[in-house]
Amino acid sequence: MIRLVPHLVAKDLKRKARSPLGLLIVLSFPVLFAGMIALAFGRGGDAVPKVRMLMANEDDGLLGSALASAFSAPQASRVFETRAVSAHDGHELMERGKASALLVVPAGFTRDLLDGRAVTLRLTRNPSEGILPEIAEQTAGILVDVLEGGRRVLDEPLAQLRPLLDARDGAPSDAEITAIALLVKRALEKSGDLVFPPAITLESELLGSRNPHAVAGKEAGGTTSAIFLLILPGIAVYAIFLVGDQAMRDVMTERTLGTLRRQLAGPVTVGTYVVGKAATTALLCLLSLAVLTAVGALALRSPVSVAAFMVVSLALVLAITGTSAIIYGLARTERQAATLSSLIYLVMAFVGGSFFRIESLPAFLRNVAPFTPFYWATQAYREILEKGAGPAAVLTHAAILAAMGGTFLALGGVALHRAARRGATA
Amino acid sequence: MIEAQGLVKTFGSLRAVDGVGFTVRKGELYGLLGPNGAGKTTTMSMLAGLLAPDEGQIRFGGIDLAARPLEVKRQLGVVPQEPALYETLTARENLRFWGGLYGLSGRDLAGAVDRVLDLVGLADRAAEPIRGYSGGMKRRLNLALGLVHGPSAVLMDEPTVGIDPQARLKILEAVKGVAAAGTTVIYTTHYLEEAEELCDRIAIMDHGKLLAEGTLEELIRRVGGRELVTVRGAFAPQALREVVASLPGVTVTAEEPGRFVLTVDGSGRGAVEVLGRVLGAGLDVHGVSVQPPSLNMLFLNLTGRELRD
Repeated sequence: MIRLVPHLVAKDLKRKARSPLGLLIVLSFPVLFAGMIALAFGRGGDAVPKVRMLMANEDDGLLGSALASAFSAPQASRVFETRAVSAHDGHELMERGKASALLVVPAGFTRDLLDGRAVTLRLTRNPSEGILPEIAEQTAGILVDVLEGGRRVLDEPLAQLRPLLDARDGAPSDAEITAIALLVKRALEKSGDLVFPPAITLESELLGSRNPHAVAGKEAGGTTSAIFLLILPGIAVYAIFLVGDQAMRDVMTERTLGTLRRQLAGPVTVGTYVVGKAATTALLCLLSLAVLTAVGALALRSPVSVAAFMVVSLALVLAITGTSAIIYGLARTERQAATLSSLIYLVMAFVGGSFFRIESLPAFLRNVAPFTPFYWATQAYREILEKGAGPAAVLTHAAILAAMGGTFLALGGVALHRAARRGATA
Repeated sequence: MIEAQGLVKTFGSLRAVDGVGFTVRKGELYGLLGPNGAGKTTTMSMLAGLLAPDEGQIRFGGIDLAARPLEVKRQLGVVPQEPALYETLTARENLRFWGGLYGLSGRDLAGAVDRVLDLVGLADRAAEPIRGYSGGMKRRLNLALGLVHGPSAVLMDEPTVGIDPQARLKILEAVKGVAAAGTTVIYTTHYLEEAEELCDRIAIMDHGKLLAEGTLEELIRRVGGRELVTVRGAFAPQALREVVASLPGVTVTAEEPGRFVLTVDGSGRGAVEVLGRVLGAGLDVHGVSVQPPSLNMLFLNLTGRELRD
């Protein structure tokens, strides 16, 4: 076996080299896919479209103005392009599709809110702009929550403040202001830990730079490569599974060619044949990983842990070899195997977070994800690329991946052994 | 050299090989002759170690195939019915792979590859990927792959099926050359002429059974001095039966619409008298043919049908 396996692998690699189109297509898929998305959304950061927000503030009070100005604040202006309009003009512009959303602050908003009456903010969204109006809706929702929370916490001082706001005959006295200030202080102290420090802090970090301020001071092309690296790991994991699938499919191809029978009529045992195919599959996956890694490295802005990368990659190759061995061991025909593998890989890639980030998947899918090798591989590569994780941080991922791979390979080896015997006698 | 005893193989309710046994001597070219479905390929699969017989035993040079399969397979060459080749590789690369599989390397491998390329007449096309080869060239390479490691015995399963006469001739010449060099060959075919031309001894198979075995002369002797007369035309079968009924030594061996096969033994005046009677009876005869004693006649006598059926 020791002499024959390298001979079998060399032959299979030579055949693959003579007919590389399938492999090249599979390998170019993640690069093109991630590249296109990066180019579409990442060019200099400005290519990401802004939310065109129309603000119709019909309230003459303080809170209406505060709400309207919130969308124009420096931080918000990176996302929103806000324009003040009347409600009538705003609706007209929306009808013509000139904006992402229109927020109408009704007349008497400040007074009603301070009096504890129910108030309604009306947000009209443009359905043709996909995700942008959703951003407007989410942001407006957050502002409403902030105002509502503030009103409840500051209920008592606001009651004191109300007559002063209504009074038109001059500024309030120092004593009145001091009294209200003390009430505000006490109210805030009562809320204590609930309000300070804020329960949620948003900290932005640009992938690859590990510098929280890098988003603001983006360098040319930095966002493009960041998005490329954000997309690449998941899609690359999927593509490597397809490479493994192609390599293992050769069991069926050799059955059709008659070369499987011929080898088994010679000095090749079924076991040697199966080990040879598994070794070819593993080697092709490693080569493909090397190619995709080289492409990824071009977009990489800072070094990553090579050791961590190697540990995860070896575990992934084992998992791919095992998974493909099971599929081609169980399938009876080449067509059946192709259908089965396409379905299994597509579903596992989706559930495992290779196509969409795991955080954006529904809860029940997030619970299923850890049962797929795609999940552990994709998460591990993201840890390495996005957080600069070292071998220790991804050891669990790699161990689970390797355990899955080992189990699959043991089961798949038996199934493949049977399939090869069937092929020899077919 | 090769001994097969009481081989039986069943697939479900089908008894594909039913008690087949034979012995092939060293350097002999042994033919398994029979129509499609006779059990030849199943027998060859068992001899190649690809199928385990349900019953029976196979020995190569005294070694039990079931007990020591790899030892036997290393000395064996196999030429499957359909070319089993890697189409993206060249002929030389294919040969180097298969030769290497049997442990050849370096000069030995290069020499063996050149030798078989010459044998099958593909030396000048050896560097081309074989996906551009014709069907005949692929079959010649298929033969070469079974010979590259210099086996002491070769199993050839209908290596000339579906190719043009010229390519067939080249393959037959190569097979003769292999046998002349002292290699034991088991050759299956459903072509009578091939068996007659090539084989030292022939076994006739049908429905999984071995019906007769011997040299060509021995087998034809079993037919006796009989000749085969085939009459074609538009006439009532009963009319022909009445014409030949009075002739001694004439029997109707096979009958189908518009075609009769008669066996004529040497007791009367033979085929000449039969033809005279048939033509003189006013039957609407379109054609007649007379065959001397042959394997086809033996097969007809043994099975009631012609080999080409």
